[in-house]
This record gives sequence, structure tokens and C-alpha cells, in this order.
Amino acid sequence: MRTAHPFRLFLVTILVAILAGLSSGARAQTVSEIVPTMADTNLRGLAAAVEALAATGEPQAVAVLEALGAGNLYETADGGIYIRAGSGPIRDAATGETAEGVAPGDLKLIRINNSLRRDIRAAIGNLTLLSDDANVRLRAAREMFGTADPANIELLDEALAEETNPSVRTVMEQARAAAILKTDVSEEEFAAAVAVIAARGDRQALGILNSNLANASEIERVNIEAGIARINQALALQGIGQNVWYGISLGSVLLLAAIGLAITFGVMGVINMAHGEMVMIGAYVTFVVQEIIRTTNPGLFDYSLAIAVPAAFLITGLIGVGIERGIIRWLYGRPLETLLATWGLSLVIQQGVRTIFGATNRDVGNPSYMSGAFEFFGIALTWNRFWIVIFALVVFALLLLVLNKTPLGLQMRAVTQNRRMASAMGIRTPWIDAMTFGLGSGVAGLAGVALSQIDNVSPNLGQGYIIDSFMVVVFGGVGNLWGTLVGAMTLGIANKFLEPYAGAVLAKIVILVLIILFIQRRPRGLFALKGRAVEQ
Amino acid sequence: MTDWTKYRNLTLAGLMGASLLSMPVAAQEGEPIKVGILHSLSGTMAISETTLKDTILFMIEQQNAAGGVLGRPLEVVTVDIASDWPLAAELARRLIEVDEVDVVFGCWTSVCRKSVLPVFEELNGLLFYPVQYEGEESQRNVFYTGASPNQQAIPAVDYLMNEEGVERWVLAGTDYVYPQTTNLILEQYLKDAGVAAEDIMINYTPFGHSDWQTIVSDIVAFGSEGKKTAVVSTINGDANVPFYRELGNQGVAAEDIPVVAFSVGEEELSGFDTTPLVGHLAAWNYFMSVDTPENAEFIAAWHDFIGDDSRVTNDPMEAHYIGFNLWVKAVEAAGTTDADAVIDSIVGQETPNLTGGIATMLPNHHITKPVLIGEIQEDGQFFVVWETDGLVEGDAWSDFLPGSMDLIADWTDPINCGNYNTVTETCGGS
Amino acid sequence: MITAAILRALDKKAIWVISILLLAAILVPLSNLMLPVGHPLRVPNYLVPLMGKYLSYAMLALALDLIWGYCGILSLGHGAFFALGGYAMGVYLMRQIGTRGVYAHPELPDFMVFLGWPELPWYWLGMDQFWFAAIMVMLVPGILAFVFGWFAFRSRVTGVYLSIITQAMTFALMLAFFRNDMGFGGNNGLTDFRDILGTPIAAPTTRAILFAATAIALALSFLVCSMIVKSKLGKVMVAVRDAESRTRFIGYRVENVKLLAFTVSAVIAGIAGALYVPQVGIINPGEFAPANSIEVVIWAAVGGRGTLIGPIIGAIIVNVGKSYFTAALPDFWLFALGGLFIFVTLFLPKGVVGLFTSVWNAIQARRASSSAQKGVGPAPGPETDFPITTESDAGNAQPKTNPAE
Repeated sequence: MRTAHPFRLFLVTILVAILAGLSSGARAQTVSEIVPTMADTNLRGLAAAVEALAATGEPQAVAVLEALGAGNLYETADGGIYIRAGSGPIRDAATGETAEGVAPGDLKLIRINNSLRRDIRAAIGNLTLLSDDANVRLRAAREMFGTADPANIELLDEALAEETNPSVRTVMEQARAAAILKTDVSEEEFAAAVAVIAARGDRQALGILNSNLANASEIERVNIEAGIARINQALALQGIGQNVWYGISLGSVLLLAAIGLAITFGVMGVINMAHGEMVMIGAYVTFVVQEIIRTTNPGLFDYSLAIAVPAAFLITGLIGVGIERGIIRWLYGRPLETLLATWGLSLVIQQGVRTIFGATNRDVGNPSYMSGAFEFFGIALTWNRFWIVIFALVVFALLLLVLNKTPLGLQMRAVTQNRRMASAMGIRTPWIDAMTFGLGSGVAGLAGVALSQIDNVSPNLGQGYIIDSFMVVVFGGVGNLWGTLVGAMTLGIANKFLEPYAGAVLAKIVILVLIILFIQRRPRGLFALKGRAVEQ
Repeated sequence: MTDWTKYRNLTLAGLMGASLLSMPVAAQEGEPIKVGILHSLSGTMAISETTLKDTILFMIEQQNAAGGVLGRPLEVVTVDIASDWPLAAELARRLIEVDEVDVVFGCWTSVCRKSVLPVFEELNGLLFYPVQYEGEESQRNVFYTGASPNQQAIPAVDYLMNEEGVERWVLAGTDYVYPQTTNLILEQYLKDAGVAAEDIMINYTPFGHSDWQTIVSDIVAFGSEGKKTAVVSTINGDANVPFYRELGNQGVAAEDIPVVAFSVGEEELSGFDTTPLVGHLAAWNYFMSVDTPENAEFIAAWHDFIGDDSRVTNDPMEAHYIGFNLWVKAVEAAGTTDADAVIDSIVGQETPNLTGGIATMLPNHHITKPVLIGEIQEDGQFFVVWETDGLVEGDAWSDFLPGSMDLIADWTDPINCGNYNTVTETCGGS
Repeated sequence: MITAAILRALDKKAIWVISILLLAAILVPLSNLMLPVGHPLRVPNYLVPLMGKYLSYAMLALALDLIWGYCGILSLGHGAFFALGGYAMGVYLMRQIGTRGVYAHPELPDFMVFLGWPELPWYWLGMDQFWFAAIMVMLVPGILAFVFGWFAFRSRVTGVYLSIITQAMTFALMLAFFRNDMGFGGNNGLTDFRDILGTPIAAPTTRAILFAATAIALALSFLVCSMIVKSKLGKVMVAVRDAESRTRFIGYRVENVKLLAFTVSAVIAGIAGALYVPQVGIINPGEFAPANSIEVVIWAAVGGRGTLIGPIIGAIIVNVGKSYFTAALPDFWLFALGGLFIFVTLFLPKGVVGLFTSVWNAIQARRASSSAQKGVGPAPGPETDFPITTESDAGNAQPKTNPAE
């Protein structure tokens, strides 16, 4: 037996009210009558107003509801209700006209809660299902699919009769089918509805089928179970794809974090414990850039990352050069001692950042193109992860290019292979050392920009990645950029395939143990450098 | 090796001199009363605890401006436990034995409390612990001004069950004692309320977990079985930001799968844009957005003190506020800062909290608190959507764990015991 | 033969170190227990366990230096052996609580009661006996080091690769011990100890005895390490450090030498951990944190690696500094600590001991040069037993090859 949930009952009430309003033409309240009741009331009062607004069927009701849902509806002390999107013009909620003489400072936001938000969504869905805009209709149909309320069937039928847009039509049919499943219909109709839902093939469809399983008859049950089996099969395949994607995405985060280290540690042999702090500084540069943009030119916010990328590269690169000139260059030939000095340095940098910016997290925003997700063969890919994968690969490619195709790269390789010979050939080795360390640090700064989009921006940011970075570089083989790439991706994907079975904690432990065992098999990592040089 | 105590005393004397100079001298006669602050100012916990150090500094400044306690000025001794728990025990000992502080405000994590607890017991010090915790403890020298599970977790679950109609539960937490215990209590509570075992999913992640893709998608999958699903999150500290970011990006809307968190407050939310998270919930005993004159005054004074209007206030700060005021009242009632006298006089002391109620120190060394459920807003604040009718008394021992059902704590005569068994009528350990 | 080895180990410096430690083991407890409170010579109560903690850290640094300074194995996971020894002791101490836990359960520790464990896990059995726990303190780290070393040294994992996998080992152990399912109290670890060997752990006498035990253990470890480095084995170890391949080609089984040193070092670290836990009153997975192990390396470096006295001095200097600065400069002590590490690596490559040695040598040289005018003997060599040369890192050097091909 389905429980008569209060919320559902409430929805039914609204819809009955709407239908009554639409069909009988009984005089409903108008928007201008309802809006004033929204001032100085509580959540219960707002719920009543939403119900009444839904019943008006007026376009302005949609505007008011949308504003309420989006947090754009304000009241003033004298009982006025106004709409204001962001810092735009203030409009009278009842009429939609620009309101004169209302100061932004007088506006007090009208706050809502989750159940009200659901009511608003449903009400907007009902009010806009017959809209002229196909996108609005699509959104309304999706909403109806979500609520799956039998009271909507009539409205959906009406909409379907006129609908010409195929994608909107599909969703409307699915919404209708979902609602049909909740009513007492003939077995054929039921089977047809199940088929429509099963054809949708996603988790939501699975949810609907599952929830109808309990109170279906024998024959219906067979139908539903077949549908469920079909969806599950598709989902299992999707699950593999999803794990691969998650692995790639984790791998590219690891790659970004490790690739700077692959240069300072892998190429130069500096056990750079301050690498994580370079990443952290990159993230703070992003914060500062965004902060400046916010205060001077908020319109440029979407470009903040484009500005932060070169800024972070330059700033951390310069700091890197400074570190090399000030500390590291005294320690060549004593690689293990670089560990001590850079560890000390990392403590100083962390505490420095803590003193300047405070110990708490700083707010780094996602530009609009970094928010949300898109579907790719049924797998939800989030934009920020997607761009980070692209970014990691671009950084990797550029780095390869710099090392292999530029004079600087040539000199870097010459110096790391045979310092004396390089020096004899006229290469300014100290300068190259500084540049190499600067490059590695700069790349770490780039990683910081990317990580600021998915992780905390706090003084501890770098600490969370330093060990993983070392694992990646060593696993891939010190001194080999391709090894770092393959190492990062392997560890990322292996982690993500283990995680569903072992849980996040165990997966990580297993990966560490596997790295230890792997190093036993290949003591110089995945892409070991061959030749005599390796034997010291 | 003993030399540094001498130097330390010199610096202390210097500080004392400086503070005496800068304060109104009229009401400040006599030996200063020393207050110790035992928080992490560096390491992983600094992110949460630094604010609490500032809160106590702020309280002390206010108290001194108001004439101190017992007509004596308060003097602060701050140490950095650096998120290192053996160091916390060492510094706690230092505070009590060397600096001879009269009271200590400190710790955030359970392990910190557990680590210093034997020290306070041995040296008979006083510790005010300001953070919500797993319960299952009551110690004579410790005062728990944060919430115990019955003041936070259980009301939150009640709210979701009754108001949101949730039938399916994800209990997600960081793998340590507070989430484990809280989830154990909640699991039993949900089962008692008729929730089937397959409708509960429990998931643990390591500290500082930053890749939430798999877990969020598991939650989405778990939530698409046709029953209203909610996530009860005991995810700790830093891991929350990437978790919420992933939630927002994977489009988990609060209307569909609400997440109620016990460790996410204004401070944590100030680290990122909350627009995609509007409607997700948190259960606390205080929100910055609570509209009371006491709170407005507190926030204004805090902003004044810290010199930054964008700094938020949060629940553990209120807990320190309450704890500090209760201690002041107890000292004034006892007429001395002597630990035994304060322990005797503090039970039953009352002080207004910031949400318009009264916090009372209970015999079990926990306090009364209102429970508020708030929804995250776009500005990083919470909008209170539900609150308990009255105040809830903190329970040291959970009623939902088999081992502690029969235990109570009462530090007043005649029981005077932190783990009194009501069935056998004996004091646990003896 | 052993007597001979001991005698050989007891050079002038070793006798000094051991005498000072033994003297401390007697004087500190005496002064703490016998002198009245307030007496200027009395060691205050809080200092006794604190000094005990420093000495157990010193023991850990000594253990690390045996393999790093003398055998060229840089372990970034030595904290793991220390923590395992500590956990073994912690489990013993938990079992001593008996029915005095908050739930008055006769057997289970509190955290197992409220997490609903029906009975003690098998690895807790027998740990209520001190002798058994004491064996475990040495056996668990020893076996882990043996197995780990057996694989790693046989596969010829060297240099940075070895350092990183030791780090992976301690990191994995930390994550594992954080799990409540491991049965070691998860993040909270083991705490609230009551008794050790039937005496209350918080009693001043117990504390004084624990301190004395730590000082004696450190003295003994020093003697053992001294014996090792003075023996033929020690010479081979240094050969491995300075030129591993060459040593192998001469015919030594390098992996066996390394394995022995590594295992002995882990056992010493385990004992240090076991002495540490009752004095600080808690063991939790934080001890496994890779940062802790790195710090141990830093103690050894600050004091002077490649000497046995260096790590002891380094551990004491850094930790006394940490104790002092965390209280005196809570907001800025990391600057001081970090600055110290940079300073030491840049300006004191041989650590504090190296500084003293070179100052001493300079004095000697001046004396010698003034006597040289009279035509007497050459200047004496450096005082360190096995001076570190820049070559000494050759075993850990990176392959300098084309990065991108």
C-alpha cells in the first residue's frame, strides 16, 4: 500500500485546485491579490500563497514563483513584495513593472525551505507545460516526470495532443507513463507504460519501476522485472564506463599534482618536499585573482581562471627560481639534504600563508563553465572534472614540447645528463638549474589553479597531495614524463575500480601495498631508464 | 633543560605588565586569574580551531573590560598543540603544572580530548570542550559544551523522517570514532523506527578525502530506488568542500536528496560558493543567522574584536561563549577558582545562550541546548526551518547503545560518578 | 668475544655518552622523588615524563641513523616501527585497565564495548602478560622490517625508491590504523591507561622509573649501535653506503648486511615506541604519519648523521625547541622550526656535532701548527668515526638521463 504522504496529498490539492480553476472558470484569486499576502508571513503562509498562485494560471504567477524559488523575491518593511535578480532593477512582484522609490537596502529576502521549493517546482511545471517555449515545456515535463502524479494525466494528455517537438514529446510521454503506473489501469495500458519507462533506461526510470514493483499484480510484475533487468544491464555497462572516467579524472588530478614534481624531483633529483606548497600557492593566486576581479570588475569573473593560469605559473615559477638560487643550489650533490631544507621551507611557507590569509578555507568560485554536468552516453560528466582532464593533458603536452623542442629544454636535458660537459659547451648551468626548478614550480602552480576548483583552498592543500605525487613519480619511473602520465592514470583508474568493492579507505591502502610490491618487481619504476647510468 | 621555564616566566611577566598597563586598573586588583587555551593553531585542525582561540581571547577581553572575575583580571596563556595529540597532552600538563592556569578551554577532536583527559584527571584541572561529539563519556574535570548525539543527530533524523518523509538513508562519514558511534546510534534508532536494513547505506571515507565522484554517484544510485532518500553526513573538516562541490556538480538537488550535516557550519561554508547547495541541511544548536538581540550583540562585538566584518560565527564559538560564561558564574558563586569548588558550584549554573534560551550546566557536565535545523542559503548562512520546542538536555550515555543504556552520569552528591549503573546501582569502574 | 666487542665499542666518547645517560637515569629520579618541592635542584614532576619522551625520540633517531648514517638506507617510514612498538605496549596497557573502563567490562576496552565488538580480536590475546607484550614490542616491528627489507633489498630497491616505498608503508599503516575495524581504537587510538606492571602509571615513582628505564635503554642501544659500527659488519655497512656496487663485486652479500641493519634498527625503534607510550599516555595513528618519519630524519640531520651521538643531540634539540616554542610563540614557532632545518642543511651539513668537531679540529690544528713549527706530527683527522663525504650520497643519486625520452 502506498502511504498517503502529506506532501503528495498537498500536491493533489493544488492540482485539483488548478484543474478546477481551468475547467470550471470559477473565479480564482488574481496574482495582485495573492502577492501582498506573502509579506511578513511564515513558511505555512508562503505555501498557501504558492498554492493560490499556481491556481491563477497567470504568466506573472510564474515570474513570482520563479523568483521565490531562485531567492530573488524580497519584501520590505511596509509590506511590499519585489523581484530583483542579482543587482538588476527592482520590480513590483504583482505587476512586473519597475518599482520606483524602493532602495535596495530596504529589501529583505523571503526565504523558503525544501518542501516549498518542491511545491514551487511542481507549480511552475503545471503552469508552464503549455508554454510557447519548447525548453520551458521540456523542463515542465521533466518536473512532472519527477513528481509522477496521477492528477497530471489530464494536463499531459492535453499537452501531448498539441506537442510537435519530438524530445519534449518523449519526456511528456514518460511523465504520463510514470503517472499512469500509479493509477488503476488495464494490464495493456500498464504494460505500455512500463515499456515507455524502461525505454528511458536511466536511474530515475529504475527508481520508478522499483517503487511500483511492490504493489503490482503478478503479470505486471513480470513486465516490470524485465524492464528492470534491461535497465540494470545497461547501467552495469555504464558503470564500467563511469569508473574509467572517474579513474581518468582522478588520474589527471594526480598527474597535475605530480608533473611539476616529475621535473624538480625526477629531472633535477631534488627531493622537493615544498612541492605541495607550490601547488597551494597556485591555488591562493587563483583566490587573489578572483578577489581582485570581484572587487574591481565582477563581469570578468568567468575569465578569472584564464587570468589565474599565467599569474600562478609566473608567481610560483619566480618563487621556485628564488628557492633554487637561495637554497637548492648550495645542495647539489647532496640530494637527500634537499629533503630537509625543502621540508623546512614547506613549514615556513605553510605558516606564512596561514599568517597572511588565515587558517580557514578561502572561497574560490567555479566559473559558470566549470559548474554542473553533462551527459555522455548516460554517464554524467561534471564540467569541472572534464576541464581538469583537458587542462592536465594540455599541460603535459606543453611540457613535453618545452623539454624536447625548445633550446631551453635541450639545455635542461644536457645539464641533467652531464653537467660538466654541458658547462664546457658554454651552457650557463646555474641559470638552467634555476629555470628548470622554476619550470617545475610553475607547473605546480598550474596544478594549484586546477585544484582550487575541486578542493579546499587552505594552507594544508599541498600536504594532501605531496605523498600521492611522490608515489606517482616513483611508480612511473623517476626522470620520465611519460612514466608520470601512465603512472598517474594507472593509479587513478585502479583506485576507482577498487573503491566500489573495498571502500575508499581500503582501496587506498591496497594501492599503496601494490606500489610497494610493484617496486620490488621493477625497482626503478614503470618506465625504468636503461643503461649503465642507472647503476649509479 | 629547565632554563626555558625561567625565560618563559620572564616573557609572562612582560606580557602581564603590558596587559596591566593597557587595562583599566580600577577593578583589576589582585593576582590575575590564568586562562589556558589549548587549540591547534597549525596542522590539519588549525582550520577549525584558530577561530576558537580568537573566541576565548575575545571573551577574556570583554570580561576584563567588565572588571574581570572576582575583581581579578584574567590573563591568557596560549599554546599551539599543532594537531599533534601527544603534544596536546604534554602542553596540557605544562599549562596546569607550570603556568598554573585555573581553567583551560580547548580541543576540537575527540582524540585531543581523550589524550588530555588523563592529565586533567590527574592534576585536577578544568577543561571546557566546545565541539559536538559522540557522547559515551563524562569526566569530573571536563565540561562538554558542544552537543551530544541526542542534541544533534537524533533530532535531525526526526526532522527528515517527519517533515521530509525520508524512507531511505545514507549514513556517510569520515572513518573515525565520532561518525562511527553516531552512525551506530542512528542505525539503531532508524531500525527501531521501522526502517529496513537494506534501506540504510553506511559509507566511510578517510580523513581529507578529496575525490568524491564514486561516492556521490553511489548515493545517487542508492537514491533512485523510488523511495525518498536523504544523506546524514558526519564527514569531517576539510573533506566537506570537495564533497559538496561534487554534489553540486553532479546535480544532487536538496529537493531530491537532502544532505544533513553535523560538522558543516558557517565557517566551513565560507570556503566556497554555496549556490548549488541551497536547501541542504545542517543540524546545530546555534546559527549565525538566528535573530535574537543577544546574537546581534555578540556578532557585532566579535566583528569589532577581530577587525573583519566578513568573519562568521558558528556553533562551537557559541559553545565556548556559553562555557566561558558558565565558568565565570561558577567561579563567582564559589568565590574562588579552586577546581573542586568550581566543579561543585557549576552544576545548575545558568547563562543565556545566543539563540534566546538558557544554557544550564547539568549534573552530567553537559548543557541544555535547543536543536536547530537550518537550510544552506546562497550567502553561506543557514535559514532555520525547524527547531525543538524547548531545550534538550545533553545525554552523556546514549539510550540506543546496548552497553550504555543503563548508565547515567551525575557529578553531584550522593552519586558523584560519571558512569553510574542505574540497574546495579554501582559506579561503573569501581 | 662479546666482551671484546663491548670493549672495542667503548671508546672515550661512548663511555661519556653512556655514563651521562646512566647518571641521568639515577639522578633525575632521585632529585624528583627525594628533594622537597620547590628545591632549586629538584626536577619538577612534569619534566620527568617530558624528558623521558625526548630520550625515546632520541632512541628512534639513533635507530634511524644506524641505517641512514652508516648504511645509506634513508627510511622515510621509521615512525612506523616506533608506532608499532608503541601499539604493542598500548595494547598491553589497555588490557591492564581491566574492569576499570567506563562500562566495567571485564575484558573489552571501552571503544570495543560501544562499537559492539562481541569479544577480543585474536591479536589482543596474550597481551595482558607483560613478558609477551615485551616480546611483541620487538617482534612486530622486527618482523615487519625483516619481511619488508627481505623483499626490498633482494630486489635491489635503493636510494629514493626505497625511501618512497618506506613512506608508502607508513602511510598505508596509518590509513589502516585509522580504520576502526582494525581493532586499535581508530583515530582515538589507545589512551586512558591506568597501570603498568601493577603500579599506577601516573604515580611519580612509576614515572621516575620509566624515565630511568628509557635512559638505560638508550644507553644500551647506544652500546649496541656502537658495537655494530665498530665491528667488521659496521665497516661493510659503511662500504655499502659509500659504494654499494663495489662492495657487492668484492663479494659481500650486500642485501644481508642491509637487512640485518634494517631489522636491528626497527627493533630499537619499536622499543623506543614502547617506552614512549606510557610516558605520553596515548598512542594513535598520527604516529604513523609520514611527516613524523620525516621529522625523525631531520633530528638525525640536525644533530649530525653518520655519528651515533648526533641523532641523540638532534632529537633533544629539536624537541626541546618544539616544546618551548609551541608555548612561547604559538603563532610563529613553525617559522623557527622550518628556519632551523634550512639553516642546518645550508650551514651545518654535518649537523651540530659536525660543527663542534670542526671547531675542535680548528683548535687542534692551531695547536698542531704552533707545534709544527717545532716539526711535530701532522694535524689529526676529523673526530667522526666515518665522515660523510659528498660521495656518500652517490648511492642515492638520481639517474641523470634524458627526462622525456
